[in-house]
Amino acid sequence: MRADKSISTTVELHQSANRWLRAYGTFIGFVAMIVVFSLLRPGVFLSPNNLRNITEQVAILAIVATTMTVVMVVGDFDLSVGALASLSGVVVADLLIQGVGLWPSVVVALLVGAVAGLFNGLLVAYFGLSAFVATLATMTAFRGLALFYTDGSTLFSGIPESFKLFGQGFTGPIPNSVLIMLAVLVVTWFMLEQTTLGRRLYAVGGNAQAAYLAGLNVRALRLTAFVISGVGAALAGIVLTSRLFSAHPTAGEPFMLNSIAAVFLGMTMFREGEPHVLGTFVGVLLLGVMSNGLNILQVNSYIQLMLTGVIILLAVLLSGLARRD
Amino acid sequence: MSQPVHAAMGGSIAVQPLVSMRHVSKRYPGVLAVDDVSLDLFAGEVHGLVGENGAGKSTLIKLLAGAVPRDGGEILVRGQAVELHHVRDAARLGLAFIHQELNLIPYFNAVENIFLGHTYPRAPWGGIDWRSLRIRAQATLELLGAAIPLDTPVNRLSPGQQTLVSIARALAANADLLVMDEPTASLTNQEIDHLFAVIRTLQERGVGVLYVSHRLAEIFAITQRITVMRNGRIVTTQLTDQVTERDLVQWMTGRAVDAIYPARRPATATPLLTVNHLSGTYCRDISFTLHAGEVLGVAGLNGSGRSELLRMLFGAAPVTGGEIVLHSAGIARPIRPRSPSQAYRYGLALVPEERRTQGLVLTRPVYENTTLTFLRNFARGGWLVDRRREIEVTATLGKQLGLRSRSLQQPIGQLSGGNQQKVVFARALAGKVKVLLLDEPTRGVDVGAKLDIYRIIGDLTAQGIGVILVSSELSEVLGLAHRLIVLREGRQVATLDATGANEETVLGYCFGLTDQTLTDQTLGQNQNSG
Repeated sequence: MRADKSISTTVELHQSANRWLRAYGTFIGFVAMIVVFSLLRPGVFLSPNNLRNITEQVAILAIVATTMTVVMVVGDFDLSVGALASLSGVVVADLLIQGVGLWPSVVVALLVGAVAGLFNGLLVAYFGLSAFVATLATMTAFRGLALFYTDGSTLFSGIPESFKLFGQGFTGPIPNSVLIMLAVLVVTWFMLEQTTLGRRLYAVGGNAQAAYLAGLNVRALRLTAFVISGVGAALAGIVLTSRLFSAHPTAGEPFMLNSIAAVFLGMTMFREGEPHVLGTFVGVLLLGVMSNGLNILQVNSYIQLMLTGVIILLAVLLSGLARRD
Repeated sequence: MSQPVHAAMGGSIAVQPLVSMRHVSKRYPGVLAVDDVSLDLFAGEVHGLVGENGAGKSTLIKLLAGAVPRDGGEILVRGQAVELHHVRDAARLGLAFIHQELNLIPYFNAVENIFLGHTYPRAPWGGIDWRSLRIRAQATLELLGAAIPLDTPVNRLSPGQQTLVSIARALAANADLLVMDEPTASLTNQEIDHLFAVIRTLQERGVGVLYVSHRLAEIFAITQRITVMRNGRIVTTQLTDQVTERDLVQWMTGRAVDAIYPARRPATATPLLTVNHLSGTYCRDISFTLHAGEVLGVAGLNGSGRSELLRMLFGAAPVTGGEIVLHSAGIARPIRPRSPSQAYRYGLALVPEERRTQGLVLTRPVYENTTLTFLRNFARGGWLVDRRREIEVTATLGKQLGLRSRSLQQPIGQLSGGNQQKVVFARALAGKVKVLLLDEPTRGVDVGAKLDIYRIIGDLTAQGIGVILVSSELSEVLGLAHRLIVLREGRQVATLDATGANEETVLGYCFGLTDQTLTDQTLGQNQNSG
């Protein structure tokens, strides 16, 4: 009896250790990274200046990644977010240069995102294309559109100073970009976790056929997710343009891979492997801290790229191992 | 009955068992999965093994296969004590295993699968001698009476053909004992008949078969002896022709069972749903009336259009002609649901055929699966989720349905099949349901859960709900339904009073041996009442 008990206790300990590793592995990696960078560059990495730098750097990616989470909740991908962010950035800059008012320009740029998301959603949910193929195609089209619109050049002269509000402005001590990010995070989290819409989105991603037979409007829900992603990408493009105070037709490109990577990193934190806004945010922070730390350490940028890939693989592998039993 | 069985049951001829398990045990953390089990299996015998989920059948098979180490007891093959450390050991001793999920390589053809893991004969130039393998494969398949295209990847074969390929693989390995674990789960009735013919052929050749199934009708059809397991122990081993279905159910569940099917309450004369000349992509000209408190059975072979009929009523399959009339409060109005969500609004609900792929979101908690359809009713203001209320509702429904779940917040994928199915029922019943469409409601659930589901169906009809029941198990349709319609090749070939029908008559209609025209008196009466 006693022997049995100790065996089962050991097994339980082993299992709970695994569960712990699974739940917090990504988070531990994140903390470990902060510790290492702080030790290697004391006084620089943790300086208030650098911390603010990091938050500002991650804020824009966090916006895209948060809305990307919604698309991935329903089991799809949106590869067009990077190109769409560039396009909406170009649109807002051009409208401002032409003398259109600040808010009308921003609203039009957001509408561009919504319409583009609607288009993606129609292709995937109503015309039955795979999300990969459909958004790969629209990504290319949006990129072409942005390049054509600007003739491949960067728009900067003539943007009014007031536009700095979104990417460079402050409310009290907090950068506005961070406030926008927090708003997107909170609203999206609330929508996914506390509303019937979010519940239905998760059901569609978990089993679309069962959701359909349970009476859910699966097509409309998938379409909604793409619209949300489109608006998120456009918002990120606007903040990015404001921060850089110029619009380049390919400025948003890195968002696509990084946002998907952040959602994946976040998915490793939850047992059922579902996308989750908080997980995504940790994923974004992890990517941001790593990039910032490696910059401070003056690591070659090509090596940085390689390390990013390795980190993503490690996180996914580790959580896979922990989930195996 | 074959000779060895007599011997085993105390006959005068001493016959050595093919395989003997003596006092075998297996302990998992916190549970004794197999507890002191002794079982003899003879050559030429088909031995049924039954029990509820978790009774220890699967673990026993794994011990025999050498897939898990045993904690005590011994296993003898032809009188010799053997150690099984690996699946290869079992194979070497002539034991072969055919599982529900067949271990075939999907993109390999039959020949490649049959000889997988064998030492291949070599052609003169050093390559594999496929020609001789083909001939041997052909010979093995002919032995089974199976015509299977040898060059087609097995994933393009029907489930029945795939089962035959895995049996051929066992034969090619010269197996003396075949262990079949739910081999008919995905087979059509015709394929099952063929499989049984094959098993009888094998039996004549002296092969022993251990046949595991939840389907008691199959156990009675094919076995000579039956062993019942419960909680890791053997309850009893009996000769098949000396026990009844009720005996088995009592042994398996450990509770006294008065009747497998609840007493049928008379249906009311109030019509709920009338279907007139309904046609779809496959179904043609289906007509019936469902009354409050009535169970209408739909019989037919796989592919006869049973599921399509339900899906048409439910707005999940296109309707090309005819009408569906819903009666409520004495008013009849034609409806044409265009989606499941519309069907739910009319008071229709569906328990779909495939629980795991069509019924449930396996990663989500029990309570979320229960409230998914009528979520708005349980949310504050119709949009803000109220988990406490959802859990309360789920607990109430779960209690009515006999749901056993450690926690209502655990992912539903962790529940047993029977409990998962109860959640699918709970979801349908979480709203105002007038007509419940059941597509294979007891598929893959164990006998205890089956009895619960039969009781639930009885209770629902008592509340005035109308039920349309599709099932491959004829005894189930005959045991539960008041009336039944029989479909063959998408057409309605009979409408019968279930109390006056027996399996032979229904099967006659299913296979087209007998026919009944649509002007039949029974149907005329139904239409009059509707």
